[in-house]
Parts: sequence; C-alpha cells; structure tokens
Amino acid sequence: MPAHQPADVLGLAGIACEAADEPLGAVVRMDADRILDALAALQTVGYDFLVDLFGTDTGERIELTYHVRAFATHDDVYLKVLVDYDGEAPSVWRVHPAALYPEREAAELLGMSFPGHPNPKRLLTTEGLPPMLRKSELIREAGEVQLPYE
Amino acid sequence: MSDGLTAPPRIAPEGSQHQDVLPAGLKRVPHGVDELATEHLVLNMGPQHPSTHGVLHVLLELDGEEVIAAEASLGYLHRGIEKLAESRRYHQVATLLDRADYLSGLHTETAFALAVEQLAGIEVPRRASWLRSLAMELNRYASHLIWLGTFGMDAGAMAPFLYIMRDRELILDILEAWCGSRMMFNYVRPGGVFADIPGGLDAKIRSWLAVADSYLDDNDALLGGNEIFVARMKGTGVIDAATALAFGMTGACLRASGVDYDLRRDVPYCAYPELDFEVPLATAGDNLARYQVRIGEMRQCLRLIHQLLDGMPEGEHTAKMPKAFRPPVGESYAAVESPRGELGIHLVSDGGPTPYRMRLRSPAYFNLSIVDEALAGGLVADAIVTLGSLDIVLGEIDR
Amino acid sequence: MTFAVGILLRFVAMVALLLVNGVVLIYMLRKVLGHLHLRIGPNRVGPFGLLQTTNDVIKLLTKEDLRPEAADAWLFNIAPFLVFVPSFMAYIPLVFGPDLAVTNLDTGILLVFAVLSLVPIGVMMAGWASNAKWSLIGGMRAAGQQIAYEIPLLLSVLGPVMMAGSMDPAKIVAAQAGTWFGFIPRWFVIPQIVAFVVYVIAAQAETQQTPFDMSEAESELITGFANEYGGMRFGFLYLAEFSNMFIVAAIGTMLFFGGWQLPWITTPGWAAPFVFMFKTYVGIFTMMWARGSLPRFRVDQMLAFCWKRLIPISLVWVVVWATIQRLTLPGVVR
Repeated sequence: MPAHQPADVLGLAGIACEAADEPLGAVVRMDADRILDALAALQTVGYDFLVDLFGTDTGERIELTYHVRAFATHDDVYLKVLVDYDGEAPSVWRVHPAALYPEREAAELLGMSFPGHPNPKRLLTTEGLPPMLRKSELIREAGEVQLPYE
Repeated sequence: MSDGLTAPPRIAPEGSQHQDVLPAGLKRVPHGVDELATEHLVLNMGPQHPSTHGVLHVLLELDGEEVIAAEASLGYLHRGIEKLAESRRYHQVATLLDRADYLSGLHTETAFALAVEQLAGIEVPRRASWLRSLAMELNRYASHLIWLGTFGMDAGAMAPFLYIMRDRELILDILEAWCGSRMMFNYVRPGGVFADIPGGLDAKIRSWLAVADSYLDDNDALLGGNEIFVARMKGTGVIDAATALAFGMTGACLRASGVDYDLRRDVPYCAYPELDFEVPLATAGDNLARYQVRIGEMRQCLRLIHQLLDGMPEGEHTAKMPKAFRPPVGESYAAVESPRGELGIHLVSDGGPTPYRMRLRSPAYFNLSIVDEALAGGLVADAIVTLGSLDIVLGEIDR
Repeated sequence: MTFAVGILLRFVAMVALLLVNGVVLIYMLRKVLGHLHLRIGPNRVGPFGLLQTTNDVIKLLTKEDLRPEAADAWLFNIAPFLVFVPSFMAYIPLVFGPDLAVTNLDTGILLVFAVLSLVPIGVMMAGWASNAKWSLIGGMRAAGQQIAYEIPLLLSVLGPVMMAGSMDPAKIVAAQAGTWFGFIPRWFVIPQIVAFVVYVIAAQAETQQTPFDMSEAESELITGFANEYGGMRFGFLYLAEFSNMFIVAAIGTMLFFGGWQLPWITTPGWAAPFVFMFKTYVGIFTMMWARGSLPRFRVDQMLAFCWKRLIPISLVWVVVWATIQRLTLPGVVR
C-alpha cells in the first residue's frame, strides 16, 4: 500500500505526519507522543501485526521504528518517531502486546523510557551497563576497522 | 505477588487459558477452606535446566503444581551482536549472524544478504538463489530434527533424541562437505554464496533423501503415534489465533493456531517462487498442533529438496562484488522464513564500509514473549512442554 | 551356635545378592538403554564395559558427601536409609529354590509390600529435607504417586494369593507346579491375566520408571527428590531403586510365572536359582524396555489413571475371581 494511505488514516485521526515512499517501503514520520493513537488507528484499518519495534541512534536523537503489517494484504508500514536521549515515548503494549519485550530492550540499550509499560525492567543486559547501542559507546577504535587492501 | 514478580495484565480474548478450570477436572480449593495457609512457591526454572533449550530463566509462581504466573528473564546469552555488526564489514557480518540462531545459521545469513542486495540493488545469479534455497532447506530439516528430539525429551522420551542425532549427522556431513563447517557456515554472502557445490555432493544428498522419509516416519511413530505423548500434548498450551497475532508470533506456532502465513509462499524470495510445496496448517493451537505442523513442514522440506536438486540451474554462484563494498545510503528490510518464523534483518546504511545499524528481528524473541501469558493456568509439566513446543533458540533471542 | 551362624550366612548372602544385583542391574540398564537409543552404552572400562559399575561405585564412595547448609541435617541424612533399608528387607521372603530361601514366612508377600510402603516416606523425607524447591516438588509427587500405586499393586496380588490359598511365597510357587490339560503350565499368569497386567503397570509406577517417573522427572526436575544428594547417599538412593526393581520383578515371577520352576520339566535343585533369576531378569528387561521407549505421564493424568482406572479394575477383578473360585473350578486350587 503506498504511503499516503496510512497517512490518510492518521490524518483522519487528527495526527500530524509526513508520508514518503522510500526504498525501504511506506514510511510515515510523526511525533512520539501520538504513537499510541496512530497504531490504534492503523489497527482499525487492518494493520494488526507488529513485526518489529527498535531504535536507532541517529547521532543527535533516537529514532524509533514501528514496523506494522496488515496480514490480509501483506502490506508493511514503517512508523518512525524521534525521541531525545533519555526521553520518553508512550508504551504501545495495549494495542500490540508484542511490544512488551522490544520496548524493554530499546529502553535499556538506547537509554530512554516507555511510560505505561507494565514491567519496565532490564531485559538483555545487567545492571550497571550504559546504553550500549548509542554511538557514544565505542567498542572498537576508528582505526581498527581497516582491511589490508584499503 | 511476592518477590516482585509482575505478570502483564490479562489481555487474552475469550476462550483462552485464564478461566477457573484446571486441567484434568482438578478443582482449585478456595482460600480459607480447611484453614490451611498455602503459600505460592516462586521457582527458578533455569538458567541451568535440562529443558529450557539454552540459557533461559523462567520465574514460575506455583500453587502446588499449578503455574499461577510466569516471567521470562533473558539476557544470559546476550553478546551484543547488533552492536558488533556496526564495526564489521559487510562480508564479515555473516560470522556474527551464524551465532545468533545457531541452529539455522544459513537463514540468518540469507536474510542479511537479501537486505544488503536490496539496499545496493545487486542482482544475484539464479544458481546462487537456488543454492541458497537448497542450503536453507537442509538447515531447516536439521533444525526441526533438533526440535523434535528435545521436544520428546521434555516429554520424557529419551529415545527420539538419539534417533534424530543419527539423522542429523547425515545432514551435517553433507553441509560440512559443502559449506566447510557443521554449524557456523559463513556461506551465504551478499551477492551470492561462498562456493559452488562440490562434485559428489548431489549423490550424497540423494542417498540421504532415500532414507530420510523412513527415518522421519520412525521418529513420528515414536512420538506422534504414542498415546501417552498425545495425551500430554492435546489441549495443553493452547494459544489462539488472536493472541498469537497480538504477540507477534510467526512461523509454525502461528500456523498451528490457524493463521495461514508462510513467507516462502506469501512473500517469496530466492528460489521459492518457482518451487511447489504446501504449507501445513492446524487450528487447535495446542502443543499437538505445533508438533503436527512441524512434522508436516519436515515432509515438505524433503519434497523441496528433491525439486531443488532436480531443477538446479547452471550459472555463477555469486555476483561480482567489489572488495571494498560500500552500499548507498538508505534502509532496507528483508525477511526469510526460518524454522522458527519470520527472521528479518533491518539494515541502515550511511554509505560507509560497515552497517550503521543492523537490527535482527528474531522470531523466537516474539514467540517467547507469549510465555508470560500461555504458561499461567497450566501445570509445571505443561509449562515445560509448551516451552519446548515454541522451538526457541536463545542465541537469537538474546543476540 | 549353628543357628547364629546360619543367620549370619543368610545375612551375608542377602547383602551379597543385593550388591551384585545392583552392580549388574546398573550395567544392564545402561547397556539396554544404550542399544535402544542407537548407541552402545559403556564399553571402555573392562571388556564390554563390564567394570563400569565398579568404577562408579568407587567414585561414589570416594566423593565428597555434600549437604546443603539449610537442609535439615537429621532428616537429610536418614532419608536414604529409609529408602534403602526397606528394599533390603524385602529380600527376606524371596524363594530361590525348593529349599533355598532366607526364611519361610507365612506372610511373606505381606512383608514385602509392607516394607515397600515405607519407601515413599523416605522419598518425601529426602525431598522435604533438602530444603530446595525442585526437590520438594519431586518429593511431593512421589508421595502422591507411590502411595497411590501401592493399592492396585496389592489388590492385583490378591488373585494369585487366593488361587494358592496362602501368602507364603513357597506355597504359592508350589501351587504352580504341574500342568492343566497336560500341556499348559499351571502358571497363575494365565487365569490371572487381568491381575498380571495391573501388577505390571503398578510395579512400573512403584519403582518410578518411565512412563511413571514423575518424582525424578529428568527433564523437569533434574533428579527430583534426589537433587541435593551426592556421593554415597545418592548411591544408596539409586541402589534402592534398582533393588526395588528386582523385588517387584521377583515377586511377579513368584506369583505369576511359577517362581523357580521350569515349564514342563521337574526342575533339579541346582538349576532352580538360575531359572528364578533368569525369569526375574526378563521381567526387569521388560521394565527397562518400557523405560527407554515411552514418554512420561503428567502427574494428574497418572494419578487419575490410578484412582479412576486401575483401582476399580483390580477391585472388580478380586471380587470376580473370588466368586469364580468359590463357585467353580475345584480342580484349579489344590
């Protein structure tokens, strides 16, 4: 489904967003605080399956990607929201319980929080570890990633 | 509840396990009857346990034998694969991904290769696609064999575990002669595969195919034909379609609950558009249904391997890839149907020689998230068997 | 003096039989399970691995005997003996030949089952005293399982006892001499086939073999009630398990298969113990065969099966057989 159709649905629900047809697929960018309503609105039109929920450190902010799919038509939509470091995005587990684990993982690995999550404990790493997926956490020096023929 | 154990609120639709009916007609004694104070027992299942299929830690709150609440505690196998991939070249990432889902490494490698090829617009030769599919089907069969053996062991039958090892050794010999390794293949690379099939391998695979059917019948008879096994599996660990979809389950677990979705047929990749196979489906959603769906998948595997061997096209085994490979800026997502479900790689590239972000959408991760929901209400023995039927691999859950 | 020497000799013979049995049975179990599982079993220590069990015994004897700090010391230490001593006592009434028994007890069968019912107490004690949750579950399951399955075990034994008219094993074996119609041996298994089937199932459950090994369910509770035991305490628990297997198989042989007697030939006195051991070992082999092939029942299914199926069947059979025996067949019972 081209990106404007989910954007239309969201627009009907009163949510501001930008839609684009990128090489990835139908991408809709929006604000983090309305993400729960957005997913609920999309669920009413058939996007009932949360494929994945993860975050990327863009260098300045955290970009959360919500990959939802409409099973009946095999259509995928990627909702992207931007969150500040140590910021918040509402937990979407009431609409997609599949988000329970990924939200905990994103919270601990990227350093943010999801208010409304019933069990906001660490999932994969132990106490005392910094948010490992942030670009500021280096595990290799810049010069280490060199191949002999470069 | 004691010890800080929190279960997510009950959100299961009608007809799921959270009614006040215990199995086998047992009745829950209300508090205050007999004036016995009965406490709930909080038990640690794992991380060292014969049946958690890896280093999985499940906290069980028990009332006698009945599981009141369950919570999975992960992270014992977390190696930071996604972070490590950000400092590996694109052809080095496969070494990391083999170790994610170590029972189906070829599937993870293929997902990554497909994501890279989608990002960079690389055309893979047809023979390479067919080689990938053949390797993946062999890997799928081997992975399902392990599931079968460990599932039998969870139920108490020790014999099937050794029987599947006999069959699996034949497959691993084939894969070792072909890819160079029994488990960490490092075979599927962006652009194609590492090397072509060596000379005598076709005959070797066919000689294995000749006995594989009868071996599978033996294994199925040992478990599926056993009344004790069926009595334990039927009606236990029921997950209905709506719950499965809500928790993001894919693969055999979803198909056993009645949702007909298989990436090989619905979003085909590699050689699957040209192959003829069926997708087994069940509606009961209990452990027996998952068992039957996977046995059906194994039979379809054999059928697919026959077709792949017979129709293998000529051609190159890999596209020409530059030594210093830098894909364009962008994102891509590619998914394959691994033995556990939809295994997807979401790749973000910034034009550099290493991925900017690689996200592994692991099917077992989402399959496992049903644990807090599906284990409660049954007995401890059912909890163990249900975990086994989900076919989890901790490597891809924890990454 | 000779009386005391006689008792001492008998005691030594019992101990020797128990130990040799244990050693042979452990080796047999590992080999039988191995071959059932498409592997070989022990084959390194000694020819064909025959010395494996002696090595294991030496290992168990020389291991450090650990006890968890929070475990109840008294109960923890005593529990293996409560499991082991009854099965040692159960060797007393066994009849190995026409004149070969430790002693002649009029209530031999009763003694065996009376002492075997002490075993669940020991198992529960082991599970409780370990002060560990998994062991506790194993112990509680054993309490439910073993106590429940004693009932069909006893009821199924009543049939042959009625046919022989006595609880003395020697008399029961003697009642199975000869043939019916000239060619069917008078073994009680033939008229008592229902009781035999119930006995086999109950025996498998009493000795905690798969498919009834809930209390030591390996894939769930690791070793169940024996989780915290190591060294020779563990050795006693498992020696008791194998010895129980021998006991129930031996009782089954005596009650249903004519004991030390060969089918159509008069058994010479020297051959009787060999015949008896052979039949007992065939029974044990069948138990191990079932152990290696079948999955395990769930606790509630197993208990439901016992209380709702086995006990009614065995009760009905006792009543039916008593009626048949009272009204008809005077030639069957001598």
